[in-house]
Amino acid sequence: MKIQVVVTGRSYHLADDIPAEIELSDDATLDSALADINGRLGEQPLPDSCLIAVAGKHVGSIAQHADSPLREGDEIVLIAPVAGG
Amino acid sequence: MPEPHSQLTDLERERYDRQLGDGVLSEEGQLRLKNSTALITRVGGMGGPASLMLTMAGVGRVIIAHGGDMISPDLNRQVLGSEAVLGQPRAPDFGNYLRSMNRFVEVEAIGSEPNDEEARELAQRCDIILACPPTFEERLRLNRVSVEAGIPFIDAAQWGMTGTLIVCRPGETACLQCVYPTPPPFEEFFPVVGAISSAIGSLAALEAVKILSGTGKPMWNKMYTYDGYQGRTTTVDLTRNPDCPCCGQL
Repeated sequence: MKIQVVVTGRSYHLADDIPAEIELSDDATLDSALADINGRLGEQPLPDSCLIAVAGKHVGSIAQHADSPLREGDEIVLIAPVAGG
Repeated sequence: MPEPHSQLTDLERERYDRQLGDGVLSEEGQLRLKNSTALITRVGGMGGPASLMLTMAGVGRVIIAHGGDMISPDLNRQVLGSEAVLGQPRAPDFGNYLRSMNRFVEVEAIGSEPNDEEARELAQRCDIILACPPTFEERLRLNRVSVEAGIPFIDAAQWGMTGTLIVCRPGETACLQCVYPTPPPFEEFFPVVGAISSAIGSLAALEAVKILSGTGKPMWNKMYTYDGYQGRTTTVDLTRNPDCPCCGQL
């Protein structure tokens, strides 16, 4: 299946080499998608505090979320927290 | 608490003429703003433009809190400051600047960031809190007192060329602690371009104006991200945590 990927927030500059769409196996889950994305990021993986949204809905953070099946066309948004004032 | 005003003066109608009418504020909405109090802490890159826009919009009482002296690196984004304030405490000068922008608004300038007790006291006399500090510890403190007081809470944050906005209503939406159950690490020397600070601060003010005046559709329970580096916006629906130690019992 193909899913959309958005990496934004604190880590947006790490996402230059991440394609907007990645292809996964048909039984892919959120965790397998995250492993694929982190593999593409290389030595600077997404932080544990990075928020995750699937299909527009917040589902937790890298450190704390439930794995779930993905569907064709789902969009995963990864937002590393920002706090500058 | 002061007695609420029952109407706008002619001079106030003249001042707010360009924001009264279809698609903007009704006279009743403007009067609600006049009878409102907003707390903005801190008032640097985002809180500065937020407090300025709330002052110019006519929020009746604007309370700002920010400790420390103005330093040169602040001047790439802190619109309430100026070269003349370098080396001086921020809050008194920032307060004077806000007063100079709208004589119909009361401005209270506090020269420190509120601790738990002070934040709780401030929340009791406010109608909304805009959190713009650089640490999650402060953000979560302000979120906590907003939940206790039952008042709306807007979190504005930035890094580099990106910024986020979270709009909360206690008991009905996720709170900041639902989103960040564990405070992410503090980064003291974060990079930032002033244009994103002003953009996010102004959007936070716009949400506050909508909420306080009863105008339009606030971004309740949303996390809005403007990523200027990638030229992209994203909006995410937040999820309440039923076990949230801050708001789970509401």
